[in-house]
Amino acid sequence: MPIAHTLPEALAAAARSSRGYRFVRPRSAETLTPYADMYAGALRVAGSLAGLGLRPGDLVAIIVPDPEAFLTTLFGTSVAGVVPASLYPPTATSDLPSYLEATGRVLRSCGARAVVTSATLLPHVDTLRAMCPDLAIVAAFDALQGPAMEPGRTPTTSDIAFVQFTSGSTATPKGVVITHQNLSANITAFASPDGVHASPDDVAVSWLPLYHDMGLVGMAIGAMYNAADAVLMAPEMFVKRPVEWLRAISRYRGTVSFAPNFAYDLAVRRVKDTDLAELDLSSWRVAGCGAEPIHASTLSAFAEKFGPCGFDETSFQPCYGLAEIVLAATMSPRGRGLRVERLLADDVTIRRVATRANGTRAETVSVVACGTPLPGHDLRILDESGHPLPERHIGEIVLSGPSVTPGYYNDAATTLAAIRNGQLFTGDLGYLSNGELFVCGRVKDLIIVNGRKYHPQDLEWGVAELAGIRRGRVVAFGTTSDTGPDRTVVIAEPSGTVPANELTEAIRRRIVDVCGLVVDDVVLVPSGTVARTTSGKLKRSATKLLYERGDLATAAAGTSGA
Amino acid sequence: MAASSQADIETGVVEILKNVSRRPIDPTPASDLAADLGFDSLQILEVVAELEDRFDISIPLNDVPAARTVAQVVAQVTALVNGAATA
Repeated sequence: MPIAHTLPEALAAAARSSRGYRFVRPRSAETLTPYADMYAGALRVAGSLAGLGLRPGDLVAIIVPDPEAFLTTLFGTSVAGVVPASLYPPTATSDLPSYLEATGRVLRSCGARAVVTSATLLPHVDTLRAMCPDLAIVAAFDALQGPAMEPGRTPTTSDIAFVQFTSGSTATPKGVVITHQNLSANITAFASPDGVHASPDDVAVSWLPLYHDMGLVGMAIGAMYNAADAVLMAPEMFVKRPVEWLRAISRYRGTVSFAPNFAYDLAVRRVKDTDLAELDLSSWRVAGCGAEPIHASTLSAFAEKFGPCGFDETSFQPCYGLAEIVLAATMSPRGRGLRVERLLADDVTIRRVATRANGTRAETVSVVACGTPLPGHDLRILDESGHPLPERHIGEIVLSGPSVTPGYYNDAATTLAAIRNGQLFTGDLGYLSNGELFVCGRVKDLIIVNGRKYHPQDLEWGVAELAGIRRGRVVAFGTTSDTGPDRTVVIAEPSGTVPANELTEAIRRRIVDVCGLVVDDVVLVPSGTVARTTSGKLKRSATKLLYERGDLATAAAGTSGA
Repeated sequence: MAASSQADIETGVVEILKNVSRRPIDPTPASDLAADLGFDSLQILEVVAELEDRFDISIPLNDVPAARTVAQVVAQVTALVNGAATA
């Protein structure tokens, strides 16, 4: 089936099928919403937005936790020719004042004209008008009841389909622009036989957030473009009870479901043995995994635990991608399962070469193969001066092809830093082996916890003003290991004015408040340990190396570890 | 289930916290779940799921951020248990 060129065309086509979204909610009957009903709802939203005075090209931010309301709003804004921007809603554990402040910064920087939100969040979002001069309208989704817009207007393929705010530092939010052409190209590529080989008979199952590309494009929009059914639930439902994800696959004979590594880990740890008997996972033919570092040990443990439920480990399809290429850049071949290379750790981190470890004489790292570039797309590994590297040499992953974003919304400087001559510099490190990509880490220092990305400078700035820390002498970084979970570490030089245990507690507390992140380890070190350089990146990598080797001296006043 | 006493609930809450934590902890009523006990947001929702199962209650997700300390969690569960018992 050919993929439509624009989102409104895809929705109109899907509306002629009998398929749709099945929204799963806790303690309530599951509703099937045919795409015809989604289209009707979208036309009502579009009519309402036009009635509120929004014009094509205006940016409308969507902060809507409920998946059905979110997708109806997104489709409605797209039909209206307005630019939808997906923002993450507050989670059950986030601190509302910090959330609102960060959201206000995003709305102000992108010049949002309107926000559509839930009735519950409306009074809170409304307070942001004070800091956002362009924000004219704050509307509840429930109020967008039409009259419906007449279908007919079709955008051009170079028009914006949506803007995804993602993984930027909270101080400098980045909105990735996705055009209709980008969207259509990436869905065509990942739905092809070289990707998941989608058909209208597929059933996608997802709890993934819709403000992130894997949930939004990979599952919800991808299913709609292919006129296949999708079963969707809110992330909180999965996080609270991971078994609900697998129950939905079992009950609705799910065939395609993607999730980041941490979700497979959560299912291994938290699905109770007594729940296994009722699960039948034999229909699950594509178990996609991406969006954060993939650990072979996690996926093997998942296959072992759920094998008796009919899960076939050759369904694993690790992939690599990022919002800037819509979703997917590479996917491993269907039906192969995991391919893992074990490498010498020192060669990877110091010599930047992927040397296979034969025997066990030295420390090793395991890397999971993420497949070859999708049709129509190109991938190169470049060194720091932009020259292509041979196979098995580690460098920056650089992508090109029709899925690459034209840039960041209203942000020419950031766009120029990431995209040059149609090439997307991903900031991710990897190497090729027989043309297949292996991802090894980040050029930029990102801390990734449970699929969410944190910028170390946000943590460092967060604690910079705390009493008892020497100015500029604090670094934050994430560590990954084969044997344990990833850890977030903060290293600080105390000024001596605050007792050590009070200081480490204050650091932990402050980072929870500012970033909603729980730090695994806080270490106080003697003055002079954190390198005296203006580059945060150099400071971080030097201190991290000491920490990982266990060579970090601790301050006389004592330390606090996890 | 029958209405539980505040002491029973506190014992149950502490037991769940110890089970969910991946390292040894010694929760007191004043302990902050995130800052003192090191719970991340996934673990806090895991605690919520375990509390719901054990006390046969439904904790509205909107109320989760308000309960930051052990004492606040105990108070929230107590209110829900007693509300359910008298309903």
